This record gives sequence, structure tokens and C-alpha cells, in this order.
Amino acid sequence: MQAKTGTPGNPWGMMMARTTMGMAVLLGAAALLAGCEAAKPAGPKAEDVPLSAFPERVYWGDTHLHTSNSVDAFGLGVRLGPEDALRFARGETVTATTGMQAKLARPLDFLVVSDHAEGLGATKALYDAPRLLIRDERMRRWHDMMHEGPAGSQRAMIEILAARGRNDLPEAMLNPDGAAERTKSVWNANIDAVERYNEPGRFTAFHGFEYTLMQGGNNLHRNIIFRDGEDKVRTVVPIDPTYKATPDEIWNYMEAYEKATGGRVLAIPHNSNLSNGLMFELTMPGGGPMTAAYARRRARLEPVVEITQIKGDSEAHPFLSPNDELAGYGVAGWELNNLLSNQPTQPGMRAGNYVREALKRGLLIEAQTGANPYKFGVIGSTDSHTSLATADEDNFFGKHSGNEPRAGRAMAPQNIGTRVERFGWHYLASGYAAVWARANTRAAIFDAMARREVYGTTGPRMTLRLFAGWDFTPADLKGDWVRAGYTRGVPMGGELAPHPNQKSGGELAPHPNHKPGGEPKSAKGPPRFIISALKDPQGANLDRVQVVKGWIDGAGKAQEHVYDVAWSSPETRKPVAGKLPPVGDTVDLATATYRNSIGAPALTTLWTDSDFDPATRAFYYVRVLEIPTPTWPAFDAVRYKLKLPADVRLKAQERAYSSPIWYTPA
Amino acid sequence: MMKQWRVGARSLLREPLLHFFIAGAAVFGLMAGRGPDVGDRRIVVDEAVVAGIVAHHLRAFRRPPTAAELDDLIRDHVRTEIYYREALALGLDQDDDAVKKRLRNKMLAIASARAEARTPTDAELQALIDRNPARYARPVRYWLEQRFLGDDTPATRAAATAMLGATDQGKAPAATAPALPLPARLSGTPADEVAMQFGDDFAAGLARVPTGRWAGPVASGFGLHLVRVERRVDPPRPTLADVRQRVENDWRRTAIAAAEEADLKALMAKYDVVIEPVT
Repeated sequence: MQAKTGTPGNPWGMMMARTTMGMAVLLGAAALLAGCEAAKPAGPKAEDVPLSAFPERVYWGDTHLHTSNSVDAFGLGVRLGPEDALRFARGETVTATTGMQAKLARPLDFLVVSDHAEGLGATKALYDAPRLLIRDERMRRWHDMMHEGPAGSQRAMIEILAARGRNDLPEAMLNPDGAAERTKSVWNANIDAVERYNEPGRFTAFHGFEYTLMQGGNNLHRNIIFRDGEDKVRTVVPIDPTYKATPDEIWNYMEAYEKATGGRVLAIPHNSNLSNGLMFELTMPGGGPMTAAYARRRARLEPVVEITQIKGDSEAHPFLSPNDELAGYGVAGWELNNLLSNQPTQPGMRAGNYVREALKRGLLIEAQTGANPYKFGVIGSTDSHTSLATADEDNFFGKHSGNEPRAGRAMAPQNIGTRVERFGWHYLASGYAAVWARANTRAAIFDAMARREVYGTTGPRMTLRLFAGWDFTPADLKGDWVRAGYTRGVPMGGELAPHPNQKSGGELAPHPNHKPGGEPKSAKGPPRFIISALKDPQGANLDRVQVVKGWIDGAGKAQEHVYDVAWSSPETRKPVAGKLPPVGDTVDLATATYRNSIGAPALTTLWTDSDFDPATRAFYYVRVLEIPTPTWPAFDAVRYKLKLPADVRLKAQERAYSSPIWYTPA
Repeated sequence: MMKQWRVGARSLLREPLLHFFIAGAAVFGLMAGRGPDVGDRRIVVDEAVVAGIVAHHLRAFRRPPTAAELDDLIRDHVRTEIYYREALALGLDQDDDAVKKRLRNKMLAIASARAEARTPTDAELQALIDRNPARYARPVRYWLEQRFLGDDTPATRAAATAMLGATDQGKAPAATAPALPLPARLSGTPADEVAMQFGDDFAAGLARVPTGRWAGPVASGFGLHLVRVERRVDPPRPTLADVRQRVENDWRRTAIAAAEEADLKALMAKYDVVIEPVT
């Protein structure tokens, strides 16, 4: 690297001429280094991968995974980098940080390595730094703690995160010049790994990072995902939101990237459940009525939201949806405080925390401004900090390397930054992103996300289709209903245009197929939905399929209703006083097993919204529930012979959430 | 763990040259096969050293240092160099774990960087494929029809056997359960994708049924099926052109690990390691 040596001279008298010469040497060296970049092996070209006419199969992935390049993941122990993360996701065996051999029972189709831009590689740098050179007392303390071993490392990380929450990190850790340099080098190494493992048609590796926006300890995090390859992505580096409070900066960055490169990039917000009301506000950030420009910009740049992950589920909360007895999945432990547990969650903050409420707020804002900021699709992802994208209850490697499988993990306090305790069992083995794409390539998967044709699950791989249209009939279900759905309706994530014959007054004209005196061949009137849910072929049967509808009533208030639209054993299981009886429970906690002797392998239906009012804006999304199955603490209890306290959740009904379909009156 | 050190060390190597002045002299010394001469009382700041200082400043501040700043930086460099040599002379590096680990990382980086920078020959890659063709082979592909019969119960199994006995092989058996939202026909679908759609049992079951006629029942993740496998095509032997990307990723990983291992072996040969029994 440093082969060239110059003539020794008088060191104190070095002049600018020399400096210039030195720079020439430097530039030469840079060129040499660039030439040394390992060439990417010739793989299949994305252009050669055929696109199906319609999305034929669902692609499974994780859009949210941290490796040792993440400041907290490293601090919490992980020593596996992006390459291991990519190998694991595509089905290879890797050795986890704590020494176990780890392999996914079923590989994923795509992965986004989304390390925190903030302090990219910083903890590792602090760990690696020569002790003598660390001048800041706290940083030296953290350095020492990290060298003590995993337990010390976790304590150090907890202190670092707490300082971050108080806006009180040591100046030296924020040194923007040093950080920029480090970020660039980590980013470039990450790009190398992602390019090497992206195999169009077989496995898609996306470039991305996490923009860890926080206001105090309130979570406003976003994952940034690029559609493009290294030629475009190398022109930017991840940006660091330290101490910013609104997403303007990242949106500017995204727009500037698209303008400069002609590429595409999108953002996926996550953990709204820990935002203390700030993720989905009715107003502009900081107050004031929301503008249409802000709403449009947000909807374009953030077409998808992460609805479920390890740190809890953000679909709905019983406080907001008292009539939905199945709301509140995965809220335990997460509903009390914001992310860093430095501010309690007041009841008034809840509406800004949950996705269903955001969809309703979106309708309200649209009614006022003409634009809906919260017209988003939903996915699940892990947010695992172990480099291992695990969301299966029987193979859960934990939130971070401190809670990879071991006996005490379910009851270990997770009191990051505070004494307010969260316990290991509050972590969900959740979730995965399901994408209806026309091929397994960056472009096809990204485009499906951009059009919101995606759904999320809490881990199981159920197949879920949803179409809305005006003229679907029961006969469609007997034929090629997928084709019918795409040609005569819109898929999940879509916008159902008013009935073609609907007058602007909201009244319906007779449908052209209407035959006087007979049943109309395809009826006018309310929208119809083709819904098909298929169980995970390796998993549990299905309990029921529900449609969640939200709308704005005559008084301008947002309303919601949950319809049970298909369920198992309908001959014997009849609703009582409007409520469907529970499916039952076959879980055996002594062995952490269940039997598929209840539930159904598939539930398909044509559902009509008989409460439809053509003058009312509305959204519809589908929730699919599995029969009860054991949770990961139940598997741990068997594996490690544990006796767990009564409040630990040992069984649950895992679920899938579709992206909504919106109806807007003419 | 090894992996992490390597990655860490590699990124350190890419870091500004400043780092070389902090601990780098030791590495250069070791690379040349001799320890740093701590008795050396001559500090030379030559063009290369200055270029390094300028480069670091340029990266950190987006401009070259002024002449005054450069003077300061060079003074600071000399002070560091003096402290460094004196610290080594006093043996202050001896009991510092961080110094030891950092130097160990650099040693590993030297080994792995050589492997990483190399482009493997086609022959090397072909040899990797030949050693484990199954790893690189595409899965078996299926052309088939399937009919879903319902839950896997003894009654359904008996009914399936009865149906097969009565079935005119030219005709598809009548449906006895509502069709699943899955394709009734597969055309050239690879076995791993069959497993993703129907479950592992079904893919395994397909391998055992005869071709050209209705057979079964085959269990899936959903229940029982009758199947007619029209064609089962074994994959051709994997060619390098097909799997180059994957095999090269494997090669690089193996090569780096092997280089580190070989270096360690060579170095270990120079040492007597004595682990004394606990008395």
C-alpha cells in the first residue's frame, strides 16, 4: 500500500509544494485501490429474468435486519456481519455469535440488510480503538466494559442508548468527519457483500439502511430501501439522523438521490407502537394543520409500513378497538412506554401509535385536504440484531445476541435505558414480509412494494390473496379467480375506483349486464371482495378470516368494524349474538406441540360489503388468524425444562395482515 | 469470532493512514520479519509520511491542511512516534489486551486480504463444484397434476385407494374436496418451489410415486392428494457458467479461512506452546 518512499527532508520545513506532491501520491494510491476492487462474479442478469403476467407466487423476505455493523447490535454482542446475514437468509448454515449452528428451515427469497446509519460501525470502532487513544472518560469506560465479555458489552450498550436518548453522547462519538469516513468504508464493504449475494431470479439482496429518527425516546425509525444496484447506490452514503426530530431530512435525501441517479428509493417506518403518538399524527410534525403537499410526499416516499416485528405488533390496541376482541396481539410490554422507556405512553398518544388508527386518520386528513398521508401497505419483518432473520417460534434466535437461545432468556429483564422492566418473553418471534411480485428481482419486488401489493405475517407463511371489484360472482371462485381479480378488480394495496356507472350523486345506474326481470348477471351495488387464505404448508390450520373496514361517518368521525367473513367448520360453528365462538385449542404445553385437528387448511370466500355507502370513503384490509400454537417461550420451557410465571404468553394465534384496498367516492 | 476479526481488520486496513502511524509500525516491522527496533533514535518524516497526514486531513475536513496546520500535524506525528517507541521500550504494550487484539486483527487481515484480492481460476471453481456437485445442482423439476382430497384421515386414505382402483387412468379423478388455492397443474416446477407451496412432505412424497398415472395418496401440509406425475426431470450436472456467482462466494469464504489457517499454522510452527498442568 505504501510502497513509495520519498527523500527524507527537514520535517519542520515542509512546504506546500511538497503537500501537493503528497496529494498526487495519494491520488495515485486511490486509483490503485479502486483497481483492486474485486470484480463481481458474473451472475444471472436481472433483465433476463422473465416477468409473469400477474404476480403468481408470493416472495418471502425480511426488510429489517441488523448485523455487527449496527451500533447497538455489535454492542449487544453480535459478531456476524452482512455476509453471514445473507448466507443465512438464503438457507446456508452459519455459526451464530453464541456458537450454535443456525439454519432456516425454509430459506427467504429476499433480504434487506438495514444497519443503523447512525454510528454505522461506531461501536465496533470504539471496541477496536487502542485504549490509550480514547480520551473521553465515558467512552473509555464503555470500551472496557465491551472487552469484559458479552454481559459487559450489553451493559455498555444500555448506557450508550440511554445517553443517546438524553441527547448526551460524548462529543467524540459524534465527530461528524470521522463518522463520515467510517460510514463510507462500512457502506462500501456492505455494498460489496450485497452485490455478491444478489442473484436475480433466485435471491434478491437489497441495498438499504435504517434511518434511526427519534424524538427523545420516541421511535420514528425508518428503513430505507433502494431499488438499484451498486452503480447508483455507491453515489450516496447512509445519512445519520442524530438529534433530528422530523423526517424532512431523509425525504430530501431520498428525492435528491432519485433526481441525481434516476433510481428509486422508499422508506418503511416501523415500531409506531413505540412512538408515543408521533408516528401517525393528525397534524404536521410539531403541530399545525397537515398540508396536502406533506401528505402527498409522505404517501409517495413511504408506501409501506412495518406492522409487526420482534418489538411488538402495531396493528391495533384494545383501548382503540374495544369491540375487537382479537386486537392487542403482541402489545404486552410495549404499550406502557416509548422506545427508550423514558416517557410513559398516555392514552391520548395511542391513536398515533397503531396502524388501524393511522388508516382511519388518513381518511380524515384526505377528507380535509384531498390527500391521504397514510395510504400505505403493510409488511412484517424481524428487526433482529443477530444477523439471523428468524421469525419462527421453534427456531427463534432472539432480538439480539444477548438473547440467543439459552435457558434464562424468557425472563431476563430488557430494561434498556431505564429501570422500567421489559422481559425477554415480550419479544415476539415476528415477522416476515410477503410480496406479490412478478419475479424475484430487486425491480419486481421493489415495484410491488411501491404499489403496496404486500402483506405481513407474524412469522408463519400463509398465502393471502385479496381483490376488490364490482362484478365478482360466486362462479368466479370456481374458475381462474386470480385472473378475474386482476382483470376485473384491484389487488391488495389498490384503489377501487367508483362503480363505472355510479353517478356523482352516489346513486347507481343499472349495470349493463342487468337483465330486466332476472337476477343481474353481475350485480350493481356494493363492492365485492375475493379473499383467499391458505395455511402455511409447514404450519398451523386457520381459524378465521376477517375484514377490517374503516370509514368516516356522517358526523365526520372515523369508525371501524371487524367482520368475520370465513371460518373453519361453518356447519357447526355458528355466531352467537354476532360473535363467532373460539376455534378451540390443541396446544400441549408439556411438549410445545399442537394438532391441526381443528381449523381449516384454506378459507376462500366472496364477501360483499352490505353496509356499503357509495358516498363514504373507506378502507378494507384482511386479517387471517391461525389456530392457537405454542410461542417461543413455550418451546424454551420444554427445551430448557423451565417453569415460567403465569403471565408469560405461552400460546397465541399468529396472524397475517393484508395491505388495505381504499374506496374513494367520485 | 474469527470472521468478525477479519472483517473488522479489513475495514481497519481501509481506514485512513493515520491508523498506520498509531500502531502500524509494529505491523510493518512484523511483515519484514523483525520486531520494531525500539532502540532506534532516528525519526524520519519523509514524503510518504506527509502524504499520509495530508490524506487523512483531506478526508476528515474536505481540504488540504494549511502550511501551519501541516506543521502542527507533523509535530504531533513526531510526538506520537516518540511516545509510541518509548511505550514499547517500557513494554506498555505487553499487558494491553486491546493492543494485542488489534495487532492480531491486522495479522489476520494480511492473510485474508491476499485471498480476497485474488480472482480464482475457472479450474479452481470447477474443482469446488466437482467436490460437491449436489450443493450446486438445480433441484429436480416436476410436471404434474394434483387433486386435493381433504384432511389426512384413515377414511380419506381408504377412499383414495378405492378411487385409484376405480379410476380410468385417462381421466382425472373427481374432486372430493373444494380445491385449494394452489395450482392443479405444475409445469417444470423445481422441487424446492413445490416444497414451498405444498410443504416438505409433499415434495418428498413426489419422489416416490410412479410417473405417467394417477397415484397416491401423497400427504401435503394441507391433507391428502392424488397426483399424476407426467415428467420428473433430473437436473443436468451443474456447469460453472450456471453457478459461478454462488461458487465464487463459497470459494472466497473458504479461501479466506484457509489463508488465515495456513498463516496461523506457519506461525505456530515457530513456537513451543507449553500448557502447564494445574498443580
